[in-house]
Amino acid sequence: MENFSNSVVLPENLPEIHQEEFNSLSKNYLKIILIRLAIFALFVTTGILAFIFFAGEEAPFFVKLIMICVIAILLIYLVVITILGFAKKGYMVREKDISFKRGLIVYKQTSVPFNRIQHVEVNQGVLEKIYNLSSLKIYTAGGTSSDLTIPGIAIETAHNLKAFLSEKISEHE
Amino acid sequence: MSSFDLTKPTRQSVKGLVIIFLQSIRQAVRMFWALIAVFVLQKNLLSNQFLVGSIVVLILVLLIVHSILYYLNFYFYVSEGEFILKKGYLKKKVLAIPLERIQSVNTKQNIIQQVLDVVSLEIDTAGTVGKELKIHALEKSLANELQKYIQKEKSQISFSENEEVQKIEVAQEKPVLKLLPIDLLKIGISQNHIKTGLIIIAFGMQIFQQVQDLFSEKAEQYSNEFFDFMSNSSVALITFMVIFFLFVSVIYSLVSSVIKYYDFTLFKKDKTYRIESGLLNKRNVVIPMKKVQQLNWETGPIKQIFGIYKLVFKQAVSGQQNQKKQQLVDAPGCLNNHLELLKSDLFGEDKLSGVHKFYSNKYYFWRLWMFSAWLPFILAAPFLFKFYLFWLGAFVWIAIAAGYCYLILSKQYFNINNYQIRVSNGAISQTWRQMELYKIQAVEFRQTIFQKRRKLASLKLMNAAGSITIPFIDDKLALKMYNYLLYHTENSNDKWM
Repeated sequence: MENFSNSVVLPENLPEIHQEEFNSLSKNYLKIILIRLAIFALFVTTGILAFIFFAGEEAPFFVKLIMICVIAILLIYLVVITILGFAKKGYMVREKDISFKRGLIVYKQTSVPFNRIQHVEVNQGVLEKIYNLSSLKIYTAGGTSSDLTIPGIAIETAHNLKAFLSEKISEHE
Repeated sequence: MSSFDLTKPTRQSVKGLVIIFLQSIRQAVRMFWALIAVFVLQKNLLSNQFLVGSIVVLILVLLIVHSILYYLNFYFYVSEGEFILKKGYLKKKVLAIPLERIQSVNTKQNIIQQVLDVVSLEIDTAGTVGKELKIHALEKSLANELQKYIQKEKSQISFSENEEVQKIEVAQEKPVLKLLPIDLLKIGISQNHIKTGLIIIAFGMQIFQQVQDLFSEKAEQYSNEFFDFMSNSSVALITFMVIFFLFVSVIYSLVSSVIKYYDFTLFKKDKTYRIESGLLNKRNVVIPMKKVQQLNWETGPIKQIFGIYKLVFKQAVSGQQNQKKQQLVDAPGCLNNHLELLKSDLFGEDKLSGVHKFYSNKYYFWRLWMFSAWLPFILAAPFLFKFYLFWLGAFVWIAIAAGYCYLILSKQYFNINNYQIRVSNGAISQTWRQMELYKIQAVEFRQTIFQKRRKLASLKLMNAAGSITIPFIDDKLALKMYNYLLYHTENSNDKWM
């Protein structure tokens, strides 16, 4: 075989994704996640308290103490991660694709080209309704792993985006 | 030429009654198994034999009536370019699918259908309705007729739409690969016996325990003698176990290969493959080349001795719920020339073999080793540090894990050019996965804070058949590929399916 160059010949000057171009999610969405977390914490603490109360003398004191400490540390960790991680969440719509990023410890950034979108859905939960927020779900043919959910955007924005994307999808068909 | 007219509503074969009936029994049992179990276990409920008998008869009569009504109300036909299926008697259902949306028409034959000499026919579409488009019992000739008819109608529609002047090649179907009994033997022997062995051990343990519970008294004396002998020499026990499970695993693999791949033939007809295979469950699967999203081929130490590869056509999964149900689309026992032929069919001239191999960074090894060996070790150490055996076991485990992780790292690489990518991975065996870049559905860039420090990242390419992950590569390269893949996909006008 002839001895040709081994480097990849991916073209230069490709459009890049810049971190600062991402739109951040609505501040109210942070409140929603924290409320969800609080509800979760409430269940966990109730469970622990019930255990301590009913276990009575059978469980040694230090076991209870360790349990409480572990749960407390875990909950504090979750709160800190949620608040700090919120800044990392964001979405971006370019001419030909839509992207979503998230993750403080494990940063993930996903992009879906418009010509691969199957359909788009706007969802609104109970908590989201209070703050007039919604989440946009973008379906591709790749199954669950490549579907993209963008939470915490204002309902009007979500509907506008949906209309915009639907138009883009029909262009490609 | 045909004795039947597809444009007229047609019922399935009368033999279908039997199959519908058996299926409804199975459904009923599945639905009410808990209730049946209660009846069987509560012996005093069964004492009233007349009552039980009449209930069973009543249920059977109901199921027979259901089967007859279901059969009488089940029609299919083709009308105005649509395949129409009508079913249901209480709740009537009409399913209509435009012929051009039909991906492929597959037939299957389980053992009852073989006895009755009918096939079940499934129509595969890109949408979610696919699962319901199933005809349980068709005469073979009619199924073939329907298969051909749909294929013909489909090509006519697509020709008239594209208005392309193309020669309609009446291509003959040619067998590309045929597995002989000797090939089945090779395939059976070259399976992953460690995995099968572990599954069998888990099963065996369960069965052993249940048997023990059942015959605890009688079995005790025998098993005591046996275990006395065995536990006196633990080396003998281990050797016996290893040989026994290896033996069982080989036999199991041989039998399952024969059942699954008996009379396996891969046919090719211009842009379509067709696979016929199976002993008890005969399958006939059509794979249009366009639908193949990714091609996997795998070889292992024993497979290499025989020079065979296992090939998997990864197709677009139709509908979300169907993902679990994998169709038989693998071709085991391919020789190198078969593989090259199929690769050139799907990807054209091989331009990837010569280009640079990008290996994953060595930190991938460290992470794998840490998670598989050191982390469990550190977690277990505080509890087990008193046992000498623990330290010995841990040492052996950490050493083996190091070797294994090294093998993983040494096989983790990819080749890329402007149109295609091929990713290799594996440990003891090796798998290659190749896809056209424009078939990408979404791309994901992934970086942990530890990776960020070392300027590394992972890339995940998602297509309609699944995803390929490229772990621990240079983050600049990962971003460059990310941007290129998007650019390439967005500029491509080729249909991904």
